[in-house]
Order: sequence, then C-alpha cells, then structure tokens
Amino acid sequence: MSVVESRAKPTMATTGSSVAASVAALGKIRELNVFLALIVVGALISLATPYFLTTNNLMGVFRSFSMTAIMSIGMVMVIITGGIDLSVGSVLGLSSLVTAICFGSGLPTAVCIGAGLLVGVAFGAFNGLLITGIGLPPFIATLGSLSIGRGLMYIVTRGVPATPDTPDIFAVLGQGYVGPVPVPVVIMFAMMIGFSILMQKTRFGRHVYATGGNEQAARLSGVKTNRVKLIVYILSGAIAALAGVISFSRYLSAEPASGFGAELDVIAAAAIGGASLSGGVGSVAGAVIGAALVGIIANGVVLMNINTYAQQAITGAVILIAVSLDVLRSRRKGG
Amino acid sequence: MKSLHTSLRVLLLAAPLLVAGAAMAKDAKDIVIAVIPKVAVPFFDDCNTGAKQEAEKLGVQYQWVVPQNTQGSTQVKIIEDLIAKKVDGIAISVNEPKSVEGVIKQAVAAGIKVLTFDSDSAKSGRSMYIGTINEAAGGTMGESMGKALGGKGEVAIVTGQLGASNLNERIAGIKKALEKYPDIKIVATEGTEDDLAKAVSVDEALFRAHPDLKGIFGVSQVGGPSVAKVLATKEFADKKGAVKVFAFDDLPDTVKGVKEGFIQGIMVQRPVTMGKLAVEHLVAQINGTETNPKDIDTGVTVVDASNLGSYTK
Repeated sequence: MSVVESRAKPTMATTGSSVAASVAALGKIRELNVFLALIVVGALISLATPYFLTTNNLMGVFRSFSMTAIMSIGMVMVIITGGIDLSVGSVLGLSSLVTAICFGSGLPTAVCIGAGLLVGVAFGAFNGLLITGIGLPPFIATLGSLSIGRGLMYIVTRGVPATPDTPDIFAVLGQGYVGPVPVPVVIMFAMMIGFSILMQKTRFGRHVYATGGNEQAARLSGVKTNRVKLIVYILSGAIAALAGVISFSRYLSAEPASGFGAELDVIAAAAIGGASLSGGVGSVAGAVIGAALVGIIANGVVLMNINTYAQQAITGAVILIAVSLDVLRSRRKGG
Repeated sequence: MKSLHTSLRVLLLAAPLLVAGAAMAKDAKDIVIAVIPKVAVPFFDDCNTGAKQEAEKLGVQYQWVVPQNTQGSTQVKIIEDLIAKKVDGIAISVNEPKSVEGVIKQAVAAGIKVLTFDSDSAKSGRSMYIGTINEAAGGTMGESMGKALGGKGEVAIVTGQLGASNLNERIAGIKKALEKYPDIKIVATEGTEDDLAKAVSVDEALFRAHPDLKGIFGVSQVGGPSVAKVLATKEFADKKGAVKVFAFDDLPDTVKGVKEGFIQGIMVQRPVTMGKLAVEHLVAQINGTETNPKDIDTGVTVVDASNLGSYTK
C-alpha cells in the first residue's frame, strides 16, 4: 500500500506549483537519509582502518569525488526535468582537451578557460535544441553528442595525451588549497549552495520541478517548459566543461580517455541522492551526497586492503544496502 | 553427359596451372599484405611505421586497416572483407581472442597466411605470434624491482582493467620473479580501469594505507604517470626516490617521470620491431620460404635515466 502512496504522489497533484511543493518536501527527507547513510558508512570504514579519518585522506577523498559531484549538480537538474544527459563525460574530456590546446598555442589563461567552458555551453545548447526543437528523446540526443564529443577527441589527439606547459597560476584551480581544503572541493561546496538556492528558492527552480513532475500541467499553468529544458541542458554542459577545466588543471594532461564512462558515475550519484529518473524528484545536495557516498566507499575498499577483484561487487552491494535502508526509512515515515 | 565432359576438360586444363601456381613464388608487387591494429593509439602508429618500411623494402603492397572500436565483432568484419578482397597475408593484433578464432580459420582455409602480433589468439590456427611475451616482460620488471630494493620491502601492483589478459600475464611474471626475493612482500594489487583520475586516487589511498611502501609496479600505461603526479605533491614529496617505481610504455608523461626522478625504470615494448617482423614473416610464408614458423618474443627494453635518449623500439 505504502508503495502505491509514494509512487502516486507526484501525479495526484494537478497544478505545477503543488507538485513542486510536495516533491521538494520529499526531496528534503530523502537527502537527509542519504546523508545518514554516508555518516554510517564513514563510521564503519573508520572503525576498520586508522588511515581513513585523517585530514589528508579526507581532503584527498573529497578532491577525488568532487569532479563527479560537480557534474552531478548539472545532471540532477536535467533529471528533474525528466531528461538525461549522457554527454557529460565526453564534454569533460573535450573541454579539458580544448583548454590544453589553447595553452599549447600560447593563449592567455583566461582565454583558455573560456574556450574550455564554451565547449560545454555549445554541447549543452546542441543537446537542448535537438530535444526541444526536433523533439528527439534526451537519451538519443545526448548519446549522439557523447559519441561526437569522444570522436572529436580521438581525431584531435590521435590517442596521445596533450600535455602543454601552463602558467603556475592556472594549476591553483585543480591543485591549490584554501587552508587545508583543496580548491576543487571549495568550488564543489560553493556550487552546491548556489544551485540549491536556485532550485529551492527561485521561480526558475520551481519551474524545473514542475516541468518534470507533470509537463502538460506545467505548460498549462504558464511554464515555458522548452525554455526550461534548454537552460538545464546548457547548464549541465557548462558545468561538465568546468569539471573538465578543473580536471586538466589538476593533472595538466588531457588524456584521450578522460571522462570515459563518467556519465554513469554522475547519473548514479544523482539517483543515489534521491533523484527519480522519471523526473520531478531530486535535489542538488542529494546528488553531491550521493557522489560522496560512492567516493568514500571507493577510498575505503583500498584503505581496508579488500581484494581488488572483489571491490566492485562490494561497492555495488554497499550502495544498494545504503539506499535501500534510506528508502525503507522514508516509507515508514509515510514519506 | 555433356556437362560432365566439359567439367572434366576444365579440370584437365586447370591442373597444370594449379601446379605452376603452387610452385612459382608470386611477384612481390602482386603480394597484398593487410595489417590490423587493435585501435588508433600511438603504440600502433609505431607498429605501422615498422610494417610500412618493411613492406616498402620488400616491394609488396601494404594496407593498414584500423578498427573504429575495440569490439571483437569489428575485427571479424574487417577480416571477412579482407578474405573477400583475396589479400595474401594478414597480421592482426587481436582485441578479443575468442571472437576472431572462426574467421581466422576461414581465412587460413581460403589460402591466406595469418599471423598475430602484440596480442594473440592462440587457438585460431594463426601461423605464429610476434610480440611481447607479457609474462617474460613482467619477470624483467619484477627482477628490476628486486635489485632496486636490495631484495627487501613492501610493494604494490597498480594495474589497468582487471580482466585484461596481457596485464594479468605481466602480474604473473612479476610474482614469479619476486619468488626469488622472500623479503619483498606484495601488500596490494589495485585496478584503475586505465583512467588517470582513478589511478591517482588509488595511488594516494595506497600510500596512506601502507606507510612503509617501498615500491610500485605500474603494470598498465596509466600507472607510471599517476604515481609521478602523486609523488610531485607536497604531501608525498618525501617519498620521491624513496619509493621505487617501475612502469610500462614510454608515454610522454612516463618519460618525463623518469627525467624528473619520480620513476626509476620503464619497460618499453618494441612496436616498430613487431611491425617489421610481421611483414617480413608473412611475405616469407607467402613465398613458401618459411614453412615451420615459431612464435617470436620481441622483448622489452628497460629504459632508465641512463639510456633515456638512446633506446630504440
């Protein structure tokens, strides 16, 4: 019975705004639970190994999952509209490559960063127009741009990583620290706060939820759903490109395979954080927490010296257990 | 009756031609050789260089056929096309050993000479394999580490895809070589999916989980660069040179790692030699001068600071 109740929730409401209100409330409960799961898993790992709960390790872990977390912020907005963006891994790779090429031809730092970000905006706009203009399903449109992006990388690199010389100031973005906190982690938290406010407190945010909750109802109540979709795909592309620029700054090497398969990690982070792939449900903070959960498990299995061949299966099992507990808890609460 | 008569006559006419064809070597310029890499990466550019030079030297026609992806089925289709085109010889670096077995047998049955280079399909009926015997290369790597550590200390293995058979053979070779050094202990073996970002995270965690780590084997191509990047950070600066690092493949970042002292040695395969030998042996088999081919181990060169500028592939 309770399953039916929670599933039926978004469709029971008839107008865009009440859909938005109810799913936003649901989202808050969900992200709190995933956060609890994160704490529990972290506590278990720190009991098992003394190396986990050190400042250096925690900062290292945060920096490791920050790329997935940053991209999941763009992804969760797309997923909330009922779409999906499979091109984020390719965009990350291509933007880091374009940034590298710009440095290689001696352009100033700001121009190189701008060019990298532009790749994401262009891919996002391309995706958005295919989906809203031609009416392609998001899965197909972004699958196509995934291939195009990856293909362009192979054409340009011919398989050789691009490793140009860069000014020291650029390395701060990926390798620098603010106090003990790595710069990419600072960026991640700043974006999490900024986009949470955008999604929870602004009209645009409500429109994003409404578009995914019930697109027809949203359109009837005056939401320009196509415009909303176009914007979230552009945001997702731009954010993935930002991750690409940061990642190039961190490794100073644009690998032809960088970001390969990253879209799955990013989608998983959003879904673990409570986003529903059928749209209307999810939150920015939840997606970041989802990325964190996957990140600390990946770190934990190495620190605990778990057999490498078993690591992937264990990672999967821990994620399933953590999220199942979270779902069961919120169901008991009647959420 | 009449048709039987005609076919008999055809047979009689054709028989001497067939005999002549088998006995007489083909003109070099009529021989067509196709070489198929796994995919477009720099390693195979070197193979192409060696193969092309040898083909020019011998005066045979040469095709370089690059698969668009690493799926087994793509190479199967390419070989089917080459059979239809009636090439005389095929050299292939196999993506999926099992999936090409059938089609290589077909090619051999159609009279095409087939050999494998770099990556083998042992049960396909190919005439020979030319490439790095990965277990032997792993042995060289283990031996280098044993010497560098003076036979004592904790070491870890950082590999790429867990299922990759060439990497697993290298690991088997390392383990065998280290049996001679009972005081060297392998404390961890970690996969990285050949992703630089993942490899960096894994390396950091390894250094933290094993503070006494003395050596790292970078078994796949991301191993060397990833460890060099981690050792270049402030946190792990004191481990530079104290932790001995051996890597595979001379990618730019790996070579840079040796130059800057983060990596002690690279096992460099010999792709140019592989390409050259592949064409040389195919042509010899087509001409009938090589009738009993044997596998060839092209070996690895251990590149360190002393021979960084002078090694050949």
